[in-house]
Amino acid sequence: MKPSTLIYAAFALAMPFCPIFLNAYWTDVFNNVGLYAILALSLNVILGHAGLFHMGHAAFYAIGAYTTAIINTSYGIPVLWTMPLAGILAGISALIVARPIIHLRGDYLLIVTIGIVEIVRIALINNVFDITGGANGIFGISRPTIFGYRISKPDQFFYLIWGFAAISIFLLLRLEHSRFGRALMYIKEDEVAAGGSGINVAQHKLTAFVIGAVWAGMCGTIYASKMTIIAPESFSFAESVILFTIVILGGSGSIPGVILGAFLLVGLPEVFRGLAEYRMLVFGAAMVLMMIFRNQGLLPPGPKNYDITSLLPAGGRK
Amino acid sequence: MEEFFQQLTNGLAVGGIYALIALGYTMVYGVMKLINFAHGDLFTIGAYLGLTLLVSMGLFDKIGPLPAVILLAVMVMILVAIIGAMLERVAYRPLRQSPRLSAVVSALGASIFFQNAIMAIYSPKFLVYPHDILPKSAVNILGLDIPIMRIILFMSSVVLMAALYFFIQKTKIGTAIRAAAIDQGAAKLMGINVDRVIMLVFCIGPALGGAAGLMVGLYYGQINFNMGWMFGLKAFTAAILGGIGNIPGAMVGGLLLGVIEALGAAYISIAWKDAIAFCVLILILIVRPTGLLGERVAEKV
Amino acid sequence: MVFQYVLIRGYPDTPVPYFTYNRFADCEPKGSATFKEDFMKKKLFTLGFLTVAFVALTLGSAWANTIRIGLMCPLTGSWASEGQDMKQIVELLAAETNKAGGINGAQVEIIVEDDGGDPRQAALAATRLTTKDISAVIGTYGSSVTEASQNIYAESGILQVATGSTAIRLSEKGLPLFFRTCPRDDEQGMVAAKTLGELGFTKIAILHDNTSYAKGLADEAKALLEAQGKTIAFYDALTPGERDYNAILTKIKSADPEVVFFTGYYPEAGMLLRQKMEMGWNVPMMGGDATNNPDLVKIAGNKAADGFMFLSPPVPADLDTPEAKKFIDDYTAAYGNAPGSVWAVLAGDAYRVIVEAIAQTKETSGEKLAAYLHNEMKDFSGLTGKISFNEKGDRVGDLYRVYKVDAAGAFVLQP
Repeated sequence: MKPSTLIYAAFALAMPFCPIFLNAYWTDVFNNVGLYAILALSLNVILGHAGLFHMGHAAFYAIGAYTTAIINTSYGIPVLWTMPLAGILAGISALIVARPIIHLRGDYLLIVTIGIVEIVRIALINNVFDITGGANGIFGISRPTIFGYRISKPDQFFYLIWGFAAISIFLLLRLEHSRFGRALMYIKEDEVAAGGSGINVAQHKLTAFVIGAVWAGMCGTIYASKMTIIAPESFSFAESVILFTIVILGGSGSIPGVILGAFLLVGLPEVFRGLAEYRMLVFGAAMVLMMIFRNQGLLPPGPKNYDITSLLPAGGRK
Repeated sequence: MEEFFQQLTNGLAVGGIYALIALGYTMVYGVMKLINFAHGDLFTIGAYLGLTLLVSMGLFDKIGPLPAVILLAVMVMILVAIIGAMLERVAYRPLRQSPRLSAVVSALGASIFFQNAIMAIYSPKFLVYPHDILPKSAVNILGLDIPIMRIILFMSSVVLMAALYFFIQKTKIGTAIRAAAIDQGAAKLMGINVDRVIMLVFCIGPALGGAAGLMVGLYYGQINFNMGWMFGLKAFTAAILGGIGNIPGAMVGGLLLGVIEALGAAYISIAWKDAIAFCVLILILIVRPTGLLGERVAEKV
Repeated sequence: MVFQYVLIRGYPDTPVPYFTYNRFADCEPKGSATFKEDFMKKKLFTLGFLTVAFVALTLGSAWANTIRIGLMCPLTGSWASEGQDMKQIVELLAAETNKAGGINGAQVEIIVEDDGGDPRQAALAATRLTTKDISAVIGTYGSSVTEASQNIYAESGILQVATGSTAIRLSEKGLPLFFRTCPRDDEQGMVAAKTLGELGFTKIAILHDNTSYAKGLADEAKALLEAQGKTIAFYDALTPGERDYNAILTKIKSADPEVVFFTGYYPEAGMLLRQKMEMGWNVPMMGGDATNNPDLVKIAGNKAADGFMFLSPPVPADLDTPEAKKFIDDYTAAYGNAPGSVWAVLAGDAYRVIVEAIAQTKETSGEKLAAYLHNEMKDFSGLTGKISFNEKGDRVGDLYRVYKVDAAGAFVLQP
C-alpha cells in the first residue's frame, strides 16, 4: 500500500473520534474546517479540474444559504429537506450567470466572477424582492433534525458536517475518475486540443461550474442551520479569496491537498488567535511565497499512473 | 437640470481618480499581461504616506498651500514608485515563467499583505487629513456652485494624464514601453532591456496611483486601510471599459465610469451604486471585451 | 514498467522520466523525491503543534478561587476602536475591584475574546468563551454580532449583558439570561420623532446605511413621524465605507428638506457633514446614537460639525453621580484622556451590574444572577445613570438625550 493511502485511512479513522477528545470550541473549529473543506472541494471541481479562474464562489454559497433560510423561516419546512432545493437554485443561478461568460479567458473570467459575487452581496444587502432581510440578514433558522434527532451542539454538527464531507469526497473521487473528469482535465491542460478531440468545451465547463455551485449551495444549507442567522457580510469577496487560496495552496485538482489546505488556512489562524492582527499579514505573505517556491500547492495531484499492460491487446505486443 | 450638471461634475472628479488608478492597471497589464491586484493598495499607501509626510513635516505652515501640495505629491509619487518597483522585484519577477495563475495568486497575496501591513502600522480606524489647509469654498460657474477642490482635483488628474500620454507617445522610453507591450520577445530582439522597461512601468503606474491616493486624502479628508479594494476594482472596471492595455482608453474609461456611477446613483438608486459599476463591467466583457478604444486583438478572449 | 512524469523547475514543459533523478543526485529538484518526507514532517509538526496548543489551552482554566467574567468585543475589524475602548474600561474597573478586595473575597479575572465585528467570528468567540468557565459575559457591540452569540450563551447557561446592541428583536426572543445596558431602537426612534417635532421641522429627509441598526432606527422614526403628520421628503440608504457622498447630498438637496436625519455611523456622518458644507448647503442635520464619537468632529472639521445634533445616552462627563466622576478621574489617570465612546462606558456599566449581582447573591450561576437582575436590582447607580431591568432584560428608563456640537467641537448636552 502506498504510504499516502495509509495516511488517508488513518485520518479517516481518527476523525470520528475527534469530538470525544476535543472541547466544544475546538470541535467548532473543526466544524468550520469541515465546511470550508466541502466548499473548497466544490470549488476544486471548477478551479482545479476545469481550470476556470473562479473567484465568486461565495455567491453560490450565499444563494444556497439564503434559499434555505427564506424557505425555512417563511414556510417552516425542515432545514435538511431544503438542501436539494438550495443546491438546485444555486446551480440554476450558476447556469444563468456562467452561460454568457464561460468563453472568457482566465483573467477576465476572474474579474467578472469578482463582480458577480459583489453584485450578489449588494443585492442581498439591499433586500432585493424584499425577502432577503437586508443587512439584517435572516434569523430564526431552525436546527436540522434527522429522524427526530435535533442537531444543535458542535459535537452533533461535527458528524453532520464531516459525514457530508465524506459523501462529497466519495462522489468527487468518482467524478474525477469518470469520463467527465478526464475530459475536464484535458480541457485544463489544453483547451484547443480538447476541442479538437471532440469535447464540447463550453458545455463541459458549464457543467463543472454548475456542479460546483450545487455543492456550494448545499453547503450553504448546513451553514445556515448551524449559525441560525445569516447576514450578507459572511458571503463577501474575502470568503471567495479564502476558498480560492485553499484550493490553490492546497494543490488545485487534488482532493487531499484541498482538505489539507482547509485545515491549514482555517485551523491555523485559530491556533494563532493571540496574534490576531498579524494573521492576515502572514496569510498574504504566505500566498506570495508559496507561489514563488511551490506553485503547484502543498499536495498537488499526483502524476497519473496508467497500467499500460492492461490496455494492450490480449495476444501481447505485436 | 441643475442636479444633472452637479452630478456630472461629481462624476468627472471621481472619474479623474479612477482614471489615474486605471492607468496603473492598464500599463502593467499591457506589458506583463498581469492584473496587479496590489495596485489598489499602492493607491492606499500613497494616501497614508501623504498623511504621514504632511503631518510630520508641517509643510503647509512653512511654504503655503500650493507649493506644499506639489512638493508633497512629488514625494509621495517617488516613494510609492519605489514600493511598486520593490513589489515587482519580490512578487512578480520570479514568476515570469510560471503559469498565469501563480502570478494572479501572488498579486492577491501581495494585496492582502499590504492591506494588513497598513492596518498594523497605522491603525484600523479611519485616519483624517488635517483640515482647513485647502480652500473649501465653492465657485459659481454657469450658475452652479461647484466646490473649488473638485475642479482642482479634476485638473490635476488631467495634467498627470496628459503628462503620461506625452511621455508614452513622444519619448524614446515611452516607445520602448509600447514596444514591450506589443511583443516582449521582439522588443528584446530590438535591444530593449525588457526588465528595465517592466521596472519602469511598475514605477510609473504606482506613482500615478499614489498621487491619486494623496488627492483622495486631501479632497475627502478621510482614509482607511481598505479603501484600495473598492477604488481598485472600479478602476479596473474603468481600464477594461476603455480597453485594457490602452492608455488613452484607461483615461476615457475612468472618466466615463465616474460619470455613469454618479448619474446612476442619482437617477436609479444610491444603494445600488457599486452594483452599477459591476454591471457595467460584466456587460462590457460580454458585449465588447476589448473595450471602447481597444484594438481588435487576435487573441481569444 | 510505469513511467512517472515530473516537471523540472525552470523548464516548465519538459517531462523527464522519474528514474533519471536518482542518477543526477545533485540536480535534485525541489519537490518530488523528498516531498513525501517533507509532507510527513509537516503533518507531524502540525499535529504536534495542535496537541501542544490544545493542552496549553485546556490547562488555562485550572484556577479555582477567581471569578471569571468574559468580555466579547470587536478588537479587530471595522469597529476596532469601540472594542478596544470596551476592553480598556472593563479592565480598569476590574483592576479597581481587585484592589478593593475583589468580590466576596475572590479576585476577578476578565477573559477577553475578539469577535471582529463579524457574526461568524462572534459565534466562534462565544463558543470559546463557554469553555473558559465564566460566570457571565459582557458584550457586544453590533446587533447582528450579538445575535450570533446569544443562543450559544443561552444554551450554556451563561448570563449575557449586551452593551452596544440596540435592535429590538434581541430581547424579544424570551431568553431569560439576556440583558442589555443599552437602550432599544424603538426608544431612540420615539425620542428622534419627538425632538424633530419639538424643533419645528415638518419636511424631513431620512438617510440610513442599510445596516440592521440604522435601517431599524430609520424605519421607526419614519413611521412615527408620518403618524405625526410630517412629510418624509427623502428616504434612502448610502453605502458605508465610501468616500464620495456628493451624489447623494445633491439628490437630497433637490428634495429640499428642512432637516436631514442620518441614522448611520460616525465615519459616514463626518463625511456627510464635511461634504455638505463644501457644497455650500446649510441644512441642519441630526444623527442617531452611532454618530456619537469624538472622531466625528475630527473627520468633519470643526466648522462643518458645528450645529450638528445627535441622540445619545448621556456620557459620564455629563452625569452628576459620584461614581461617574470618579470613573472619569480614574480613566483619565490611567489612559490619559477621557473615555471616547459612550458604548464602551455602557460596557463598564455591564461589568458593574454583573459584579453587583454576584456580590449581592453570592452566587455565580446564570439563573440566580438573572433572577437578581430581573427582580432585585432597582435604580442601581451606573456610569450612565440609574439602571433597572424589565422582565425582557431591557434597560428601563428614559435614556436618550439630545446633544449638540458647538463651534469648538465639544458635545454639549441639551436640556
